[in-house]
Amino acid sequence: MKIKYSLITRRNFLNGLLGGWAAALMASFISPALKFVFPPYREPDEVILPWSEYKDMSPNSTKIFPWGSKPGIFKQNDDGTHTAFVGVCTHLDCNVTYIPDQRKFFCACHDGWYDENGIQIAGPPPTPMRKLEITIEGEDLIIRKPGVKVE
Amino acid sequence: MSLRKLMDWFDNRLGISDVLSFMTKKDIPQHKHSIWYYTGSSILLFFCIQVVTGFMLALYYRPTLEEANASVARIMTEVPMGWLVRSLHSWSASFMIIFVFVHLLSIWITKAYRPPREITWMTGVFLLVVSLAFGFTGYLLPWDDLSLSATKVGTDIPRAIPVMGAWVTKFLRGGEDVTGDTLTRFFSIHISILPVFAFLFLAFHLFLIQKHGVSYPLELEEKKERVKTLPFWPNFVYREMVVWLVLIGILCTVVIFLPPSLDTQADLMAPAPEGVKPEWYFLFLFQTLKIFPSQMLIVSGETMAILLILLGFMLFFFLPLFDTKPTEWRGKLITFSAYIVVLYAVIMSVWSLL
Ligand code: FES
Repeated sequence: MKIKYSLITRRNFLNGLLGGWAAALMASFISPALKFVFPPYREPDEVILPWSEYKDMSPNSTKIFPWGSKPGIFKQNDDGTHTAFVGVCTHLDCNVTYIPDQRKFFCACHDGWYDENGIQIAGPPPTPMRKLEITIEGEDLIIRKPGVKVE
Repeated sequence: MSLRKLMDWFDNRLGISDVLSFMTKKDIPQHKHSIWYYTGSSILLFFCIQVVTGFMLALYYRPTLEEANASVARIMTEVPMGWLVRSLHSWSASFMIIFVFVHLLSIWITKAYRPPREITWMTGVFLLVVSLAFGFTGYLLPWDDLSLSATKVGTDIPRAIPVMGAWVTKFLRGGEDVTGDTLTRFFSIHISILPVFAFLFLAFHLFLIQKHGVSYPLELEEKKERVKTLPFWPNFVYREMVVWLVLIGILCTVVIFLPPSLDTQADLMAPAPEGVKPEWYFLFLFQTLKIFPSQMLIVSGETMAILLILLGFMLFFFLPLFDTKPTEWRGKLITFSAYIVVLYAVIMSVWSLL
């Protein structure tokens, strides 16, 4: 069947065609642009440190190791065990520090305090500090994100 | 060719005399609130100083993890007059923010955003945001202990916003953490993205002001004809220049006697130093965050605080749309709330310094 008049003018048709083309083209640029702006980042699954530098620490002391671009805190406990923490405050990400005399972790940014097990006790921090898993294999001290299996 | 002819040649092509005659015809009313008319051009003065000194600093500054702090140190110690240029840039930024605050407050209190000037107000609030963003990104660039921790806190705050927040944080930091990438990113935001927005909004803002003319205070609205006025060009501009001279005098005095300091290079692994503070104009927000408890109702105190701050900002942005009955109690309440906000900001800022 042939219609006598067109349902859409030539101009409207072209507008739609070109406009749609331009919009689709722009849309196809968005995803690569976003990928560029938000770089991929992964926290390390594990770090390997020389055990010899850590094994003779005195009780109730800490040492800082690089955990990706943040500090990690390795702590020697009184009973000879160790604990490792991600050394940033759970409030707003400032680096915390261990104060041996008071047996507490302290965040200077907004006066946040954690006990020696990393449990928040005063100030704004909402959750305990993140703990990491420790394994010692020969000369290597391996610190892992909990639950990560690395071969 | 005589000078006259040369001028005509340009005039025919550029239309300068139209602009000039428009400016001569533009009248600035004279009354007891006239002083606030000078705040706008004062902001412009400091903005120009920022642009020029910013160009100059960019000649020597290096936006990388390894070199940022050292290059600022070099500007302060080796580059001839470098300390002066940095001091100017740093102080003039603060002066500009002060005048932006005063400018907006005076408009809020005198209700100069009445129709048809609502959009002028909104572009002004955008310019406030751009100015604060300039301050926030600029604060990190010297890359010292304090600026690193302040930036960690500042960029982590959006994370508390539900849904979008984590992306904002990631965008600002260029990753999960504040690193050398953050520094480079802040630099490029500071010197390329923000200036574009600043110029665009400024042009739009100025265009709207020319279009609508200067606002009269509420009580003079009816008897406009009887108010004394001053031609914008040259009378008002000459007066503005006198104000500029005084301001430049004050600026130079503090610039010379109180140049900004520079701490040791930031260390990503070091514990946060004591007394982490943002720039003075963020102190009241900083203190607000600090006094919220860690848990409130069902959300964290942080989320609560930031949602309240955002709500406050939205109210501020849309203020002219609420303030439609200036003479009734609602209008009076809105004027009164301006004083409350100032009082709140001052008390919180002082408290955070204690
Ligand atoms: S960042 Fe640690 S208390 Fe706020």
